Amino acid sequence: MDTLQFLADGFGVAFQWHNILFALIGVIIGTAVGVLPGIGPMSGVALLIPVTATITSGMPTGAAAASSIILLAGVYYGAMYGGSTTSILLNTPGESSSVVTTLDGYQMAQQGRAGAALAISAIGSFVAGIISLIGLVLLAEPLSNVAIKFGPAEYFSLMLLGLAAVSGLAGKSMTKAIMMTVFGLMLGTIGIDAVSGIARFTYDQPILFSGLEFLTIAVGLFALGEVVKTVLEKDEETGSIAKINRILPTKQDMKDSTVPIVRGSLLGFFIGVLPGAGATLASFFSYTTEKKLSKNPEKFGKGHIAGVAGPESANNAASGGAMIPLLTLGIPGSGTTAILMGALIMYNIQPGPLLFDEHPEVAWGLIASMFIGNLMLLVLNMPLVRVFAKIIQTPKKYLLPMIIAISFFGVYAVQYTTFDLYLLLGCGVLGYLLSKNDYPVAPLVLALVLGPMIENNMRRALTISNGDFSIFVTKPLSLLFILAAAAWLLVPLLLKLKGRKIIINEED
Amino acid sequence: MNKKFDRVAGIAFLLIGILFFIESQKISDSAYGSSVGPKIFPMGLGLILTLLSIRLLYETFKYKTEDSTKDKLQYKKFFIIFGSALLYAFFLEKIGYVVSTFLFLLIAFQTLERGKVIYSIIISTVFSVGIYYMFSELLGGSLPGFPLF
Repeated sequence: MDTLQFLADGFGVAFQWHNILFALIGVIIGTAVGVLPGIGPMSGVALLIPVTATITSGMPTGAAAASSIILLAGVYYGAMYGGSTTSILLNTPGESSSVVTTLDGYQMAQQGRAGAALAISAIGSFVAGIISLIGLVLLAEPLSNVAIKFGPAEYFSLMLLGLAAVSGLAGKSMTKAIMMTVFGLMLGTIGIDAVSGIARFTYDQPILFSGLEFLTIAVGLFALGEVVKTVLEKDEETGSIAKINRILPTKQDMKDSTVPIVRGSLLGFFIGVLPGAGATLASFFSYTTEKKLSKNPEKFGKGHIAGVAGPESANNAASGGAMIPLLTLGIPGSGTTAILMGALIMYNIQPGPLLFDEHPEVAWGLIASMFIGNLMLLVLNMPLVRVFAKIIQTPKKYLLPMIIAISFFGVYAVQYTTFDLYLLLGCGVLGYLLSKNDYPVAPLVLALVLGPMIENNMRRALTISNGDFSIFVTKPLSLLFILAAAAWLLVPLLLKLKGRKIIINEED
Repeated sequence: MNKKFDRVAGIAFLLIGILFFIESQKISDSAYGSSVGPKIFPMGLGLILTLLSIRLLYETFKYKTEDSTKDKLQYKKFFIIFGSALLYAFFLEKIGYVVSTFLFLLIAFQTLERGKVIYSIIISTVFSVGIYYMFSELLGGSLPGFPLF
């Protein structure tokens, strides 16, 4: 019953008028971010952190954190709704988790069933959102009760697992992914060491004492990196947008997609909970599963509605599932959740098992707001889908400079130094160069967020054991995590040796 | 896969790794009552990055170079925008947010696509003035608004 009580309190927070407004703004911006090719959920969230930070600056910390995380999470799952729109109408996925939707979605649009495809993906996303939230509500309490018993050794190994999972699945070359992870950890050590108070790698530059700001790096690598890419690479002309005739799906459509939606939601949810495997992977899995289980697999790729319903449900469920490790364990499993975690840390709120005890208004307020947000998205997406489709036509000429200006404003308003602006620009170029050459930047950001925590837990564990490194393998849970981490890195490697093609999680 | 970039990056990260390792030796190892000081973690990271870079360099010798299709990059536009962004950062505190943002947006809009100057001016003005007033008047934040002279 406790959980229900907490959930009710959460709804109390989420139903405050400003939080409803925040959720609404979040999901609208999120949908727009999802629709616009080039801006993924990761850059969208990163770009909005400073903006929300300034809007909420007048509130007490707890309430401010709750409100901004409500908005930012809204951007995250809103983008999952929006991403399908361009996949279906334009054959260009708005973000990577909607790539498979193009296969059947665009075909449907060609056949004049664009409205049905859009509607079914909105309905599927909604069902998936609700299913994954129920999972979140049920699992949050027990998981955080387990996690609260973790000592520093277990935490260290668990974070290692998180990093290994993200590096193992990110990008084409694992060497490069691990290099990015290590580089992110290194950047995280710059500044004054929290344990001993000794300045490291600062070279007496006062600006470096507090370390490199996570926000600046994330906005630079993701948002500006994409801007640099679009400016440099001449983009091909966007094709014509398919017409939307009727929006409501037919009875037959509903019947065909009910099972895929439920299956996709469950699959997506469990994939989302796993660290490293995000929405992109979930939608791929769902598509292949549907194709395998279908009675007539030859229909797939020719405008079969199950090929839209399944993956679209899966990617939204995955974004809900990804909240579980973030909120209960304090371990983000993907780039976007790493950025959400960075946002919480900015408010001095540490995600993890204690979150539910210390800041129930943040944790449960967020969960409750996601119910409301998903409902809003369903209501918004059905009638407004034509309006959102118009966003695709926003001229890049105006969009790109404004993204630069918004990130400048955001970083400056939070940091008040021009140093961070130069760092931002540097990260933008670096982000472009790295991701262009298959060096994934998501692990870098994740490592930057987790770095200080990994180090602290490692040192605390080693202090307990008097410097004996075997503490990490003698504690059973810690050993389990380390073995899992090793498996996550080794299994793809072995599969590759066998010549199997593995699906990788681009960014999400 | 771009072999040249991978080689350069491999060497760069190798240097970063070695440098990190060497520099971490300078961190004083005072650990109050603990055998593990602030040195160990960065030192280990430097070592790992060094090893990984060597591995990456080794990998670049293994795979064949693919004929990279030379896509024409719009360097000119990029450098103008990047340069004006640098100037934007430099002048932000000196001539204030409104003016610098307006100028930056105008230049960037016109660089990406010539023409429709009136539209560009209107959008730049609305954006810079709008953000400034929203932020400093409505939300009470502080931004260097206008030139100080």
